[in-house]
Parts: sequence; C-alpha cells; structure tokens
Amino acid sequence: MTTAFAQTETPIVKLVGVDKDYHLGSVIVPALRDVSLSIAAGEFTVIAGPSGSGKTTLLNLIGCVDVATRGDVVIDGADTRQLKEKALTDLRLRSLGFIFQSFNLVGVLDAFDNVEFPLLLQGKLNKVERRDRVMGLLQQVGIEQYAHHRPGELSGGQRQRVAIARALVTQPRIVLADEPTANLDSKTGTAILELMQELNRRGTTFLFSTHDPRVVSRAGRVIRLVDGQIADLNASAEDVAALAAGAH
Amino acid sequence: MNTIVQIAFRNLLQHRRRSLLLGGAVAMVTLLLVMLSALLNGMQATMLRNGTTLSTGHVNVAGFYKITAGTAAPLVTKYEALLQAVKKQTPGLDYVVTRGRGFGKIVSEESSLNSVLTGLDIVHEAGFKEVVQLAHGNLDELARPRTALIFEKQAERLHVKVGDNVTVSSQTFRGVNNTVDVRIVAIGRDLGMLSSFNCFVHHDAIRDLYELDSSTTGAIQVYLKDAEKAAEVAAKLRTDIEKTGLRVMEPQPQPFWRKFDTVKREDWTGQKIDVTTWIDEMAFMRYTLNTLSALIFVLVTVLLVIIVIGVMNTLWMAIRERTREIGALRAIGMQRGRVLWMFVTEVALLALAATATGSLLATGLCLGLNAAKIVVPKAFQMFLMSETLWLVADVPTVARSLAIIAVVTTLGSLLPAWRASRLQPVKAMQTAS
Repeated sequence: MTTAFAQTETPIVKLVGVDKDYHLGSVIVPALRDVSLSIAAGEFTVIAGPSGSGKTTLLNLIGCVDVATRGDVVIDGADTRQLKEKALTDLRLRSLGFIFQSFNLVGVLDAFDNVEFPLLLQGKLNKVERRDRVMGLLQQVGIEQYAHHRPGELSGGQRQRVAIARALVTQPRIVLADEPTANLDSKTGTAILELMQELNRRGTTFLFSTHDPRVVSRAGRVIRLVDGQIADLNASAEDVAALAAGAH
Repeated sequence: MNTIVQIAFRNLLQHRRRSLLLGGAVAMVTLLLVMLSALLNGMQATMLRNGTTLSTGHVNVAGFYKITAGTAAPLVTKYEALLQAVKKQTPGLDYVVTRGRGFGKIVSEESSLNSVLTGLDIVHEAGFKEVVQLAHGNLDELARPRTALIFEKQAERLHVKVGDNVTVSSQTFRGVNNTVDVRIVAIGRDLGMLSSFNCFVHHDAIRDLYELDSSTTGAIQVYLKDAEKAAEVAAKLRTDIEKTGLRVMEPQPQPFWRKFDTVKREDWTGQKIDVTTWIDEMAFMRYTLNTLSALIFVLVTVLLVIIVIGVMNTLWMAIRERTREIGALRAIGMQRGRVLWMFVTEVALLALAATATGSLLATGLCLGLNAAKIVVPKAFQMFLMSETLWLVADVPTVARSLAIIAVVTTLGSLLPAWRASRLQPVKAMQTAS
C-alpha cells in the first residue's frame, strides 16, 4: 500500500449516524446502518467491501444524488438534509466531480464538448477560458488528440479519461469514483489510477467505491464496509491484503 | 444554451428514422391545415369579390318605405340628395352605384323560376364587368331598356337563350300584380350560390315593374378603397344621415331581405334609411364559411391530438433510452429546468423543421393548383362561388398554421420532458444499470 495522501485534517465529508433504507414494495431493505465517518480534504480513500455491502449507496449519499433515511451528511460544510433539490444540484456542480463505472458520457457530444459541459452549466468562464481549461485537462489525461472524437469513436480507457477530465474540469473539492476501473483492462486501469494519484498529489480529494485490489493497494485509507455497517475506518495492511486477496 | 440545442439537434439526427416519421406526420398536418385554410381564404376572397359586386356594396345605404304600417318596400325615395351626401361624406370612397331591389317570377315560354331581381345601370358598373364572365351575349347590351342578364343554370331551367324574351312578374308595393317583358341580352357563367337566385335587369325595368319614378332606387352601394373599413364607414354614415333629418334604422347584422317581417310589424310609415355593411348583407354566406371553419377546426384538432400522442410516445421512448444520460447529467449538476428544456428543444426543433417543410409544400401545391385552374364539380361551385378551385395561401395564413402546429407539437413534449426532469439521478442511473 502506498502512503496516505491526506493534506490536511479538515473534514470535507462528514457522516453522522447515517441509515439508508430501500423500500421494495412493503419490505424495507436496510442498505446502510449507523454509518459515521469523516474524510479530510486531500485524502485518497477507498470504500471497500463485498458486493451488496453498501459501497455504492454510501458513495451516492456523499455525492448528494441520494438522501439518507436518517442521520446527517455534511459535504464541504453544507448539511445536505437542509438543502432543497436546486441547492443540492448546485452543490454537486460546484463541489463534486463524478466518475462512473460505465463512463456515462453524452453520446452525441465529442470529448471536448463533454468535458466543457459542466463549465457551461456553471456559466462562470468565457469561451476562451473554457477552451484553455478543457484542452489543458484533455492534455493532462493524455487524449488531447481525441478532443473532437465522440465517445463511440473512443476506447474504454479513452472514454474513462474523458470522464475523469469532465469530473475535474470544475475543479471540485472532491471526486467520487464508482468502480472506475471495472470496465477497463489491466494496463489501462493502472494508467488511469496513476493519473488519479497524480491529480491527488496536486490536492484533489478522491473517494472510491471498489473491490479492485489495484485500487485498494494504492489507497491512502481504506474504509471497510460489511453488511451496510462500517467494519473498519482505517483498515490495516493485513486486512487490506486479505480483502485484495479475497477480491481476487 | 448552445450545447443543449446541439444535443437536441444531434439526437434528432442520430434517430433519423424516428425523427423522419414524426416530422413527416407533423409536416402532413401542417400541409393539410395550410391547404384547408387556403381554401377557406379563397372562398372568402371570392365571396368578397363576387358578393360585393353582385349583391352588395362594401357599405349599403338603403332602407324601407312603408305606405301603411303593415307593408314594407325596399326603397330609397328621392335618393339623389342622399347620393350626393354619401359621395361627399364617405372617407376612402372608391365609387358608388345605385341598384334597384325586388323579387319576382321569371316566366319563359316553357318554364318559370323565382329570383331576386336587381336593377342596375351597367355603364356605371365597372366592377360588375370584371366579375361576371359571359357564356353568351354582350354585357353592354344591358344598357338598353328592358334587358336582362341571367346565369347558365337559370337559362337551362327556363330553356332560353340570348335574344329570347321573358316576362318578369311581381306585385307592386301597392299590392297590384304587374309584369314587364325583358329581353335576355347576356348569359353569365355560374358563380355559385350568388348566381343561382340572382337576375340582373336594366334599372328602369325594376322601376316599371314596381311602378316607381326615376327619383326612387333600391340601394346606394358604396365601394371603398379598403373593404376592411366598412363597419367604421357605416357607423359614420349612419350618424351623418341622421343629422340631415332622415330617420335611420338601428343597425342589425342581417341582409335586407331578412328584415321584411320585422319592418312590417313596426308601427311607422314613410321612409327609413338602413345602413349596412357587406358582412351584414352576406351573413348567410358567412354561415357557410363559419361551418367550414368549424369543420376544419375539428379535423385539425383531431389530427393535432394524434400528433401530440405521437410526440409524447416518441419522447417517452427517447427518455427511456437516455435515462442513464439524464441521471449522469443530473449528477454532474444539471438543474431540472435544463433537463426539461433539453427535451422540449428537441421537439421544438423537429416541429419547426417539419412545419416549415409542410408549409412550403402546401404553398407550392396551392400555387400549382391555382395555375392548373381545376374546374370543381357543380355542387362545389355553389359553395366555392367560383368555377375553379382558388386557394389563397398568403403569408399570415401560412405563418399562423406554422405557429399553431409548432406550438402545439412542442407543448406535447412538456409532460414527458417534465417527467424526465423529475427523475432522481440515483434512480435514473440504477435503472440503466
């Protein structure tokens, strides 16, 4: 495991006593139980656990795309329970970046337009500033030559790089990545992880949901979830290795 | 926002077959609406042109003369002074003619028919010569006393031709039966409803039939440079005539021949002037147009409902296909309003392109059909007031049709687009996975 990348101890994510239930007809299915955790700015953290342990649910709550049944979720200083839908959307746009397992790019837009899109939603930068920002990021993720290719014309790795650029373009305080390497081959997955680590060194907080041992082995901290509960907030090297071996 | 328009446009291109089918349907409905509206316009234009020449002016200064309380004659006595006043006080005046009014039986050697009788001085009737197309005879001959012009269908019923004499019989306004013999000098081509019950004679023939002197006429027909100002001018003339001391009837939006019973029941004698517009005099024809308008409205409404259902279905399909995209866009910070706008824009673009295409096709088709001068069956000539199909697809008609269809089609996208905008990001992404 590499060293932790925490830059400061200021919590950028704070969950206190969070429960999340899903309703399947009349049956209530608990997905998370009494989850409390803090993540400091600059961390490179992995939420690990077996399938069905609640990793994605936890990431969705932190990403403000879902709401907790009980408990407090504080993101970048904002108590999400107090925010209306519009403010939550604004918080996502302003403070969060998303990288999805299946990329979720807009198929009819080219790589440049996909990356530029969140900036257009923000409406803060002018055209020249946006172009410079987007091209700089595409260069950083190594696909500037594919700027005018649509997702359908790119490989999986290239699409994930576009997704990473899109997640970073607004300079969010935290980037959430749900199984970012699941659809990538080993070589591309490693390259993507190296890129994320490099970005983390420059100050961006990363939070992954994964059981990919390649990701776990690079994490600064591993939060272990079992059956919707926190099993370990800072899993040991042995636990992580066991987890990695288990995942293999 | 340009990118939203770009996404909408590219999505339309990506689903070409779907866009073409829906766009084609919208274009066809637009084409139909433009064509039907053009037909209605054509009828209205023909009605205005033919009707205002044959049976009414843009404004009519006419009235009733009552010898006793229980009678009513459509006469204007001592009309010369009134004619001069009308000429002087009518704003935007083009020209004025006087017409005799009556109703009688035309009897030939073999047959007879009832007809409205209109007396005219053909030398002053420039517009009349433009509108009436002759099948046989010479219109200038109508300047001779005791002459008549009838129309083809009437000639057929009476079994007469140019040069034949017919007898016109009626009751004078004093209740005495009288007849005059007139010579057919011209047979005009049928002009639909108007020509089926109208016969034109020399003005003096009417005076002879009803035993009237030359200071009496039936109506002063006023033609304006702008027919749209008829109501305004009629109101002015009503006030001006009242000031001269003549009695003026309360305005009633009815043709003069529907006022007989009312006037007969009224307890007054002598002369009263009635000022009407062409819209009042042709109210019965406007009924035909209004009925046709209502039918077009029902037809187009039904078609629009079908289009709206089509739009909604297509959009539901598109939203289902793009649920993951919607979820991702919401997750990266796209507000609900913009999601809604994205789908509405997509339909609006399709609607605009389709309605523009439909309008262009319809305009071309109208021009083509007008140039082809297609003769419509006799039964339709009655309503069209013309022998040939005449379609008027002018800019306001096309623009109105385009706007109606484009707006309704776009409105049809609101519900699905609103539902798409209400999708929870997490559920949208889970549904897709």
